Amino acid sequence: MFEMGGGVEVKGGKKTKKEKKKERLEGVKKEMDIDDHEIPIEDLEQRYNTNVTTGMTSTFARQVLERDGPNELKPPKGTPEYVKFARQLAGGLQCLMWVAAAICFIAFGIELARGNFTCFDNLYLAITLIAVVVVTGCFGYYQEFKSTNIIASFKNLVPQQALVIRDGRKDTISAKELVVGDLVEVKGGDRIPADIRIITAQSCKVDNSSLTGESEPQTRSPECTHENPMETKNIAFFSTTVLEGVATGVIINTGDRTIIGRIATLASGVGNEKTPIAIEIEHFVDIIAGLAIFFGFTFFVVALFIGYSFLEAMIYFMAIVVAYVPEGLLATVTVCLSLTAKRLARKNCVVKNLEAVETLGSTSVICSDKTGTLTQNRMTVAHLWFDNHVHSADTTEDQSGQSFDQSSETWRSLARVAGLCNRAIFRPDQEGIPIPRRTVVGDASETALLKFTELTIGNIEQYRNRFKKVAELPFNSTNKFALSIHELEDPLDLRYLLVMKGAPERILERCSTILIKGQELPLDEQWTEAFQTAYMDLGGLGERVLGFCNIYLNEKEFPRGFSFDPDELNFTTSNLCFCGLVSMIDPPRATVPDAVMKCRTAGIRVVMVTGDHPITAKAIAANVGIISEGSETVEDIAIRKRIPVERVNPREARACVINGGQLKDMSSDELDDALRNHPEMVFARTSPQQKLIIVESCQRLGSIVAVTGDGVNDSPALKKADIGIAMGIAGSDAAKNAADMILLDDNFASIVTGVEQGRLIFDNLKKSIAYTLTKNIPELTPYLIYITCSIPLPLGCITILFIELATDIYPSVSLAYEKAESDIMNLKPRNPRRDRLVNESLAVYSYFQIGAIQSFAGFTDYFTAMAQEGWFPLLCIGLRGNWEDTHLQDMQDSYGQEWSFSQRLYQQYTCYTVFFVSIEICQISDVLIRKTRRLSVFTQGFFRNKVLMSAIVFQILLGNLLCYCPGMPNIFNFMPIRGQWWAVPIPYGILIFVYDEIRKLGVRRAPGSWWDQELYY
Amino acid sequence: MAKDGEKGGGWGEFIWNPRTREFMGRTATSWGLILLFYLVFYIFLAGMFALTMYVMLQTLDDHKPTWQDRLSTPGLMIRPKPETLEIIYNIHRTESWDMHTTALDRFLADYNNSVQMEKSDECVPDQYFKQDDSGDVKNNPKRSCQFNRTILESCSGLEDRYYGFQDGKPCIIIKLNRVIGMLPGRDGQAPFITCGAKPPLADRQLRLPPKKEDTEKVGEMVYFPPNGTFNLMYYPYYGKKAQVNYSQPLVAVKFLNITTNEDINIECKINANNIPPGSERDKFAGRVSFKLRINTHTD
Repeated sequence: MFEMGGGVEVKGGKKTKKEKKKERLEGVKKEMDIDDHEIPIEDLEQRYNTNVTTGMTSTFARQVLERDGPNELKPPKGTPEYVKFARQLAGGLQCLMWVAAAICFIAFGIELARGNFTCFDNLYLAITLIAVVVVTGCFGYYQEFKSTNIIASFKNLVPQQALVIRDGRKDTISAKELVVGDLVEVKGGDRIPADIRIITAQSCKVDNSSLTGESEPQTRSPECTHENPMETKNIAFFSTTVLEGVATGVIINTGDRTIIGRIATLASGVGNEKTPIAIEIEHFVDIIAGLAIFFGFTFFVVALFIGYSFLEAMIYFMAIVVAYVPEGLLATVTVCLSLTAKRLARKNCVVKNLEAVETLGSTSVICSDKTGTLTQNRMTVAHLWFDNHVHSADTTEDQSGQSFDQSSETWRSLARVAGLCNRAIFRPDQEGIPIPRRTVVGDASETALLKFTELTIGNIEQYRNRFKKVAELPFNSTNKFALSIHELEDPLDLRYLLVMKGAPERILERCSTILIKGQELPLDEQWTEAFQTAYMDLGGLGERVLGFCNIYLNEKEFPRGFSFDPDELNFTTSNLCFCGLVSMIDPPRATVPDAVMKCRTAGIRVVMVTGDHPITAKAIAANVGIISEGSETVEDIAIRKRIPVERVNPREARACVINGGQLKDMSSDELDDALRNHPEMVFARTSPQQKLIIVESCQRLGSIVAVTGDGVNDSPALKKADIGIAMGIAGSDAAKNAADMILLDDNFASIVTGVEQGRLIFDNLKKSIAYTLTKNIPELTPYLIYITCSIPLPLGCITILFIELATDIYPSVSLAYEKAESDIMNLKPRNPRRDRLVNESLAVYSYFQIGAIQSFAGFTDYFTAMAQEGWFPLLCIGLRGNWEDTHLQDMQDSYGQEWSFSQRLYQQYTCYTVFFVSIEICQISDVLIRKTRRLSVFTQGFFRNKVLMSAIVFQILLGNLLCYCPGMPNIFNFMPIRGQWWAVPIPYGILIFVYDEIRKLGVRRAPGSWWDQELYY
Repeated sequence: MAKDGEKGGGWGEFIWNPRTREFMGRTATSWGLILLFYLVFYIFLAGMFALTMYVMLQTLDDHKPTWQDRLSTPGLMIRPKPETLEIIYNIHRTESWDMHTTALDRFLADYNNSVQMEKSDECVPDQYFKQDDSGDVKNNPKRSCQFNRTILESCSGLEDRYYGFQDGKPCIIIKLNRVIGMLPGRDGQAPFITCGAKPPLADRQLRLPPKKEDTEKVGEMVYFPPNGTFNLMYYPYYGKKAQVNYSQPLVAVKFLNITTNEDINIECKINANNIPPGSERDKFAGRVSFKLRINTHTD
């Protein structure tokens, strides 16, 4: 069933964009109205100028190849590189900085026009702002580029080959060179190289799961069984795999014109959602811009009032607005995110877009695949039933689990049957590899049995050699059993051993005795019932159950050399001895239950979306904890209470299993209801298209949704999701392209690690931003006081840039290494509408409290430096006019000494430097208090964050370098200052620390109080 | 924006929400509390600021700055002092130079012998006039030495009211910036001023002496007091509080036959064996340069 059209109709388009998409989807549907499968073969031959026995002529094939292009999916039109780069330059913060740079240029222009040729600060500032944006843009671009490369490296490097018949000759060519009309041959294990119409087929079965999500193998035969090309049996689709049998067919579509190609191109139609962090940053920019304009305007009015000219006031206005731009923040955010991205990459999550790192932290719903993500993606023996007991086998990946009692005689017989009646073999040269990971030739259940017996009874190859095989009948769907006949190990025992396995009920039919504790007992009612119970139990676990039996053939009837004919069954195949049942499942990965539990405590809902059978899906869901213990579905309740399903109140059921068929008939409101009412959801038998509907429904309910996927058809859902997670191993290129993140190990547990990191980075970014914002005030107040009180300028523009972009970057980044304050995985996901990255209380606390203290520290140091050099505080006020007069070379200070202009200028640089030092000292205190928002710094561990400690040392060293390196005064306006001036701001630093500890104490002691509300950020 | 979504009513409602009686998102009590909090907070901060400032001011000496890091090379300045330090005038047009002479008159008024006699003492020349405090007992007020206007002789403006401006032999007065406690000149050698042609920028960077022709254009100069010395008895300076009547010593330089109708760049330097040469960037540290152009056309 191809359900894409239906899926789209269900959600009943909301926006014009979706309307458009719908149209396109409909378009695809229409285009699929091909008749290549309906017309007689002769017409087909004519249409494509081919022949169903000898194929095309290679000359014509070449012409067609030229016309149609190679048979490959065009890589989805990647965004051009320059657009990617431009995107890096156009974020919220970047825009703020562009505006600031523009203002700087305007201010510089005005200054120039007024004939002030000495004031280049504005120009430097503008250039720096632009440089910061461009450099961080390059950085972000490089990150993206790097992760794209990692993804690219996963691309299948081995080109697919196809067996084609041209000019009557079979030839193996690259699948890329196939053209419409080519006659191709496929066999079990092949990937179908293009959309083909089947001409001949022998027991051919294909796996269409990558297209439709249906995991059951589907038969392909030459007959046209349905007018819908998606349903008919005589078309096999590009990229699906042949499970068994052989077939030949004529290619009817190649490349992007194949069904899968059309779907792949659809993904580009789904718009990318804005990431939560981008929204947060926009919100933050709003706050900053609002405050900047408020401050700027206030002082604009004040300046006019004081008596400055309009133009001067305008310049002040612009300068204040620009001073509010946190130049260093962009770099901090970028570096913090990429640090986390790096950390995630080590844990097998590759992030394509830096912002996705945080999105993961905000995630409230994970829609996860089952196969390969939650499970190990290999059939494994899970349970055995013998001696009237269910035994559990070890299903862990590394065989670390408990094994069962293997002393029973029955077990030995059962193992012998399992080992011998098995055609699967290990690929050679795999001695070094642990058994569970070796590759095997054979079908899934035989593989499981092979590995199981290899693990339990040792080298199975030698074991099989001891029992020489004389005949065998492989499994087929009519008999539903497989058997083989062996000579015995003991050369003196001339009996033959017949071993048989198959569907349990079929096996039981053929048995008359049952092996219990090594004793052959008659198979009476009681044992049959025991068998039925065990079979039901194991089947109820969603496991695939096989029955095993054997018999020693009568020596006289079947002497040595007897010619066994498996097709005729010229030997005993009834009255056998039943050995036991073995059930298999694709077991969950060991780490998954724990990870799901973590999600649960972290308030994240895990929804399973799988193409698998509902029972298996439910069993695995229960196994990994997606359906928790004690949760029941409506059906479970109905059975327990013995009432019809309709009479059960759906609200009583915590869990719910919905299969694709039901989902198709549900309206979007019903689906929303189901998702709202049942916390534990499993969607089974869903097509990848239905994933999109599920994702949209979750988003309607206000969740931030992470989706895992691997198939081409998952790409729309991956794109639609807030964060699409593609599988690195199993994932198709289309899925990887649409995703924001790639799991290199396909393991669900890695997602949880990602969530943890995402939450941590959100917390830590908050701290980094708070730290970075604080110093905005001590950078701004000097200018405000300079304007209003006409003191010599206490802090210069270049110095500010040094604080923003040199000394304080490392400490603010080091906060990204801070450990979480509490167990962040025990909290609910943040509410994107309430828990903002930068909220008002953070801004207010940073600006008006800590920032204010820092300003006072700076001014104390400034006035100290001025007074000790001869300029008393009261003299400073109103001094600016003369101070800045370049022609005044004998200006008197408070002592009557005379100063030349240059001497005053160097004194001013000294002031810049002491103000700089004050901010640095206070920022050291600031970075220490920002380690925690609630806990005491001492509880958190004062020295635990080594990076932060080294950042402080770095900050001090860099500060010293700037102050004392020769040549600094004339290059960057830093002066070697007196050591005492370093000490002046220390009391304020201590005040910041003590005050914040008091704040945190209050917040901890009185949660919900006024203090908590106003001062907790 | 998300803000609009949650606030519902947008900006209008944000400023005044009649339902919850909230102004800018807060009720009156809430505003009261938060403003009170900030009032207390800032009063505390201001108090701390005042306290630290008070402590700092206590450490200051009334008479001598704690540090004189910037003043190791005192600045030099000329009088008269036009904004751009370009003295350009025409000897035939009185209005082009009389502002200079009046400026000098005003500047030198304090040096009139009568004023000096009244305010200052006669000191022993050629040695520092030290008036040390004896321990804690301040020896204040400090006395000052007389610098009589007559020392400047023909540049005093007493004999020649126009300081030579009218006949193309102008006087320029040079003063050394006051720095508390400065003792210019070791071993009893008084610092002195020399003036000369200012070499062009490129030559200055190579520390070449001025070109001969430039020196010739400047012509002869005569210094008052003789040799252009600042007598040691005017040092050290004890600050405007302790030494209220301090008279800064001056040196006058008179250009006797400077080339007319041409821009002449002149640089005057202090020569003292213990004043370090100022930084290249500070054009007034221990030196001063100015442009002199005397036009003689009659039109």
